[in-house]
Amino acid sequence: MADVAENVVAGSRSPRNALRRTDGELILLWTLPATVIVWVSAFFLFPGFTPPMSPTLSADQVATFYRDPAHLPQIRYSMIVFNWFGASLIPILTLIVMQIRRMAHRTPIFSYAMLGCLAGAPTLFLVANVCWLLAAFRPERSPELTQLLNDLAWVTFTTLVSFLIGQSVILALAIYFDDQPRPIFSRWVAHFNVLVAAALVPAAFVGASLSGPLAWDGALSFWLKNIAIGVWVVVMGVVLGRAVYRERAEIQRRAAELDSA
Amino acid sequence: MTELTDKNKRATFVPGQPDMWAFVLFETLVFTAYFGFYLFYRAKSPELFLHGQAQLDLRVGVFNTLVLLLSSWSVARCVQSARVGAYRAALRDGYLTAFLGVAFMVSKVLEWARQIRMGNGFGSSDFFTYYFFLTGIHFVHLVIGFVVLGVVVYQLISPLRRSQELVETCATYWHTVDFLWVLIFALLYVVR
Amino acid sequence: MSTVITPPESAAAPPSGPVHRRIAWHLQHNPKRELWLAWWVMVVFYNLFFPIFFVVAQVQPPPQPTWDLATQVHWFDERHLGIPVGFGIIFAIAGMTAINNALIAYSMRRMSVSPAFGYSYLLIYSFSAIPGLLLLCIALVVGTLRPERNPETIGWLYDFAFLSFDGTMGVFLIGSLIWMVAILIDKNRVFPKWFGYLNLCNALTEVVVAPCWIFQRGVLAWNGQIAWWLDMVVFGVYQVTFIVMLFQMIRREDFGTGPLPDLPRKRATAS
Repeated sequence: MADVAENVVAGSRSPRNALRRTDGELILLWTLPATVIVWVSAFFLFPGFTPPMSPTLSADQVATFYRDPAHLPQIRYSMIVFNWFGASLIPILTLIVMQIRRMAHRTPIFSYAMLGCLAGAPTLFLVANVCWLLAAFRPERSPELTQLLNDLAWVTFTTLVSFLIGQSVILALAIYFDDQPRPIFSRWVAHFNVLVAAALVPAAFVGASLSGPLAWDGALSFWLKNIAIGVWVVVMGVVLGRAVYRERAEIQRRAAELDSA
Repeated sequence: MTELTDKNKRATFVPGQPDMWAFVLFETLVFTAYFGFYLFYRAKSPELFLHGQAQLDLRVGVFNTLVLLLSSWSVARCVQSARVGAYRAALRDGYLTAFLGVAFMVSKVLEWARQIRMGNGFGSSDFFTYYFFLTGIHFVHLVIGFVVLGVVVYQLISPLRRSQELVETCATYWHTVDFLWVLIFALLYVVR
Repeated sequence: MSTVITPPESAAAPPSGPVHRRIAWHLQHNPKRELWLAWWVMVVFYNLFFPIFFVVAQVQPPPQPTWDLATQVHWFDERHLGIPVGFGIIFAIAGMTAINNALIAYSMRRMSVSPAFGYSYLLIYSFSAIPGLLLLCIALVVGTLRPERNPETIGWLYDFAFLSFDGTMGVFLIGSLIWMVAILIDKNRVFPKWFGYLNLCNALTEVVVAPCWIFQRGVLAWNGQIAWWLDMVVFGVYQVTFIVMLFQMIRREDFGTGPLPDLPRKRATAS
């Protein structure tokens, strides 16, 4: 009976004992606030985000933007910081995978799918990051080439929503299928993820127009997308934190029970 | 129980796994498509192809073919020995097959080097594109053949294994490599 | 898993009636619902993927490497709406590939082989989505963005896109080989051996595509009869086959760790 209860709580189907190794997860979890601060700072430092550069700028105007001595250091330093911390969300995403494994699923398919998704967005972000840095490296380059690099960076930055949509949908499905009396994540987290995924879909169509809400500086492809991502990070951070702490409390309680037994 | 009867049925119908024969059929179809393209484009520019073919050394082609035919014979002997339980002899034949395979590989690489020195590279003419492509993809199959021979040797070495079906399956693959080479030889070297 | 929570396998049968009610029942009660969900996601993905590439964006079959720049610019111009819209859909659904890969990784997990196979496959195919699919979509979208762009730049994007598609098949090569080895040494009979060999055929077809980096014309160019057309035929056969194979696997699945049982019909004819 106790074994069944253990299995129910741990929710994993492998013979791994219920006392899952969780050392260090709190450290990984608390990197999130640091990541958020770094990202937000770099975001506001980059002159191309505040306000977002318009796709309708001509090649010469784009070249001028990169050649502007006031902009140049800001571009370089903000992008270097993004380069360092581009991958720093991955440990958090992996912690989410660990929680998915605890859910009452019959197969590990959802955790596999989540694993398959989570490196994608940081990788594409780094591609965009490199393109921006390249554009800023030799501002005296022909304006056409600078504009090309700028275009590639912006389109990549906007269409990385591919993997974020995938992540949110997979997480939502995993939560919907988590049939236990006390699910790891509450149902509303699943609804929230579906909403975020829907909010990110318009950004996929960024190539359709150079102006308007779908353009990379537009209401849907820039503002809605980045706000949705920001809200997702904060909400999931809190939700994940609660799940991690709850699990640790349970592990400690059960370890105490085993010791006293 | 039913598996045993299945296996016996299969032994009379086809040697080794029928799955391997499905693979052989598929690869043969793919190679037939390659040959089809070759013949089609050859018919369009016969002088160019003839000129290219003239630069190939027929003796090397014949040597390659003989080596592979010998290796097919040695792998067949290996299968027979294994069937009657003469595993030492089978193992010797396995090594002989591998040795002949290596001889083919060395000869092929030397031939390629010679052609390249003569100025005929992968892209130098349509004929040589086909030449390097067909001999190249065959070479890849041969390299896989070494892995397959490795499986044969691995099976024969220990009395805990020695699956006759697996040995026959691997032999089937090796025969296919030989068979494909004979076709390539006929097309590239002989038919003029 | 918790035997307390999941319902016994032989319990209720799905209700007859309208399709959406039956689907809802399956989503709530079918013990294999996760596997079936993943399988249907895979089917839907491919049913969207091919029409989008071939019909909406019209980027396949690929155009010729030998076209002059003016023709290439014109090609982009014809697709100035089809490409962003079609690829917008691709960007929105690309996450589904993670579910496809998860299902295949699961098939290896069900085998008697080490979990390393499943994880390797998952990693390889997850990473390959970027150079093999998304980067080329991005390049083509950027190509249609500004028709007044310097034709040489457009030519660069054109080359980048099509070489990226055909020329990064090496990743899929290794992935196919991993699945092949897993199938061939598997003792749980999850897949028949001929399917393992078919993976080898698929892997070899990826090898054959590589010369597209060398040739601008002829059968081995990125649109050539061997490098593209024949390759597509082999790839198409492989795709259809593995979708069917996964279907059979899910039907036979017993959530055990031993050999996968055959379907009841087969057992009857064998005995």
